[in-house]
Amino acid sequence: MKKNSFILVGALIVIAFMTYMLLSIQTKKTEQVLLNTAPVIKEKEVEARSDIWGKEYPRQYDTWKKTKDSNKIEDLVEKYPQLAILWAGYGFAKDYNAPRGHFNALQSNINTLRTGAPTGPNDGPMPTACWTCKSSDVPRIMERDGELEYFTGKWARLGNEIVNPIGCADCHNSQTSQLEISRPYLKRGLEESGRKLEDLTFQDMRSLACAQCHSEYYFKKTPYTDKAGNKQMAAVVTFPWAKGLKAENMEEYYNEYGFKDWTHKLSKTPMLKAQHPGYEIFTTGIHFKRGLSCADCHMPYIQEGSVKFSDHQIQSPLNNIANSCLTCHRESEEEFKKIVEEKLNRKNQLNVLTMNSLAEAHLVAKKAWEVGATETEMEKPIKTIRSAQWLWDYSIASHGSFFHAPEETLRLLAVANNKAMEARLELQNILANHGVTNYEVPDFSTKEKAQKLAGVPFDKLVEEKMRFKKGLVVEWYDEAVKAGRLDQNWWNILPDNTAYPQN
Amino acid sequence: MNFNSVLRFCALASVTVALVMGVYLVQESKATSYLSNDSTACINCHVMESYYVSWQHSSHAQRATCVECHLPTENYVDKYASKTRDGWNHSVAFTLDTYGKRMLITEDGARRVQENCIRCHTSFSRTLIKNVDRYHAFDSESLGKRKCWDCHRYVPHGKVRSIDAAPVRLGAKWTQ
Repeated sequence: MKKNSFILVGALIVIAFMTYMLLSIQTKKTEQVLLNTAPVIKEKEVEARSDIWGKEYPRQYDTWKKTKDSNKIEDLVEKYPQLAILWAGYGFAKDYNAPRGHFNALQSNINTLRTGAPTGPNDGPMPTACWTCKSSDVPRIMERDGELEYFTGKWARLGNEIVNPIGCADCHNSQTSQLEISRPYLKRGLEESGRKLEDLTFQDMRSLACAQCHSEYYFKKTPYTDKAGNKQMAAVVTFPWAKGLKAENMEEYYNEYGFKDWTHKLSKTPMLKAQHPGYEIFTTGIHFKRGLSCADCHMPYIQEGSVKFSDHQIQSPLNNIANSCLTCHRESEEEFKKIVEEKLNRKNQLNVLTMNSLAEAHLVAKKAWEVGATETEMEKPIKTIRSAQWLWDYSIASHGSFFHAPEETLRLLAVANNKAMEARLELQNILANHGVTNYEVPDFSTKEKAQKLAGVPFDKLVEEKMRFKKGLVVEWYDEAVKAGRLDQNWWNILPDNTAYPQN
Repeated sequence: MNFNSVLRFCALASVTVALVMGVYLVQESKATSYLSNDSTACINCHVMESYYVSWQHSSHAQRATCVECHLPTENYVDKYASKTRDGWNHSVAFTLDTYGKRMLITEDGARRVQENCIRCHTSFSRTLIKNVDRYHAFDSESLGKRKCWDCHRYVPHGKVRSIDAAPVRLGAKWTQ
């Protein structure tokens, strides 16, 4: 009896203690859930207005907003007139500037002469796909209308819908705030390149959020039947990653696909245009191989009181060396700047050499056609020009490739230059066969001369653009503000800088 | 007789209940997770979240887990003795809500961290020893008992941290 009493009392004490512990654990767990609940920015669909996000994430929002300070125009066609020759017959010969901050992207897209001067929703040179990387309204429309529907029609069709610059919803889920791939074509590209989406880590996401846009793509014609039963054709942004991410892999992909972006106006070459393969070339560099992500250098952490958050003023780390580079490296800022400058100079030297060789190759090819060269004669040099220009473009089209992957950039420039010279030698022989022995290419040393050679009607383009900006664009933004798609009309706060004179 | 058998029955029943509750308690308190080296075990309790997050956002997250800095890693007796001691202190403080909002490491905890700094940064600490009379004279008469983080104050948790001011909504990401 005594033994049982002891056991009973003992067990009851243990039970009482455990009940207390369980209740305590429950209370703490409830507290934890409350602490860790992220705000829901929007219950359903995508919140494209970054101002709304800013109410919950004021620090991130404020730093993001500073990207508008990077708004200077650096006219690259002015700086390198060769570009107008290399891209003759294609939009980039008209207007091509150095990149600006995310906040300015939409303004750049509307202002550039490349997007033309549409007069209505079904007019203009570009498809809707040209909005794809410029605005957080893009995932909103894709979710609302469907991806293929988004990729259908002319650029101007969505002018009053795509009104918020690159912002929160481009990288973050509106329900959970977590990093998210909002552009489905990146998921397809990753899968085609052999990566499994379920294996992606947080660190991967810190680069892939950027890779949604800082990657090479082309517009793949995709037929489909819309909800009303009509046959439609979508121009879908597609990553050429199936054979790999290197320049040669993509070239093989495009050649197999028989793809060309345009036919060169001077040399009649079926050309490829590389579109900022930033992520791809970064993967060949040492920082990627050591496990770094884009955000590690471009979004360094900031401490405000005890709150640590990532800087959303995405920019060159050279503007913030102390908090980016020097968290790992031990040199002085001064020394660091010099090292990077040296890398840039190396690239610039080879880049100018290669552009000159390529421009001359195009101009000599034009002469060859003029003096009666046949297609059979021209087949080989034209093929070489196509390859050379692709490699050159891939190596320099993305931001900071000279730093992200210095060796790969210089290798590609060297190969491209060699190929351009090969093409020139072949063309020289063709000219000789047609009796031309001392042809000198025309002068393309200024933007004006080069654009004239490339047949760019600059003044006409500017005039049309100004009409478009004073007409349709004003209508778009009035409608968008009225419909509540835009909290603050940024046209009123951004300086309207362009490479062309506005009046 | 009746009283005795009722008593025996009650004793048996309460032991059974206690055993079942015990198993449930082990599960609810995630007790077994404390046997692992997994850093997420440290945020079973939310007081550690600001420390977890500041570590997770630091370069140390790429190389070292919580216990690789905070517990002895080579001497297993020391490791488990420390783990038990800390575990007991933490559970008591957390259950009875006796912890302050600004938590400081114990002297023994600091010893272990310092040892681990030196263990991983061996080549570096050799340089330190060479320059000992200039900057890094640990335990010397002139400089006193210095710890690495007396100078490297942001490594890895940042300088200012208290539970109230912690970035609540930064949360602990990608852990579950």
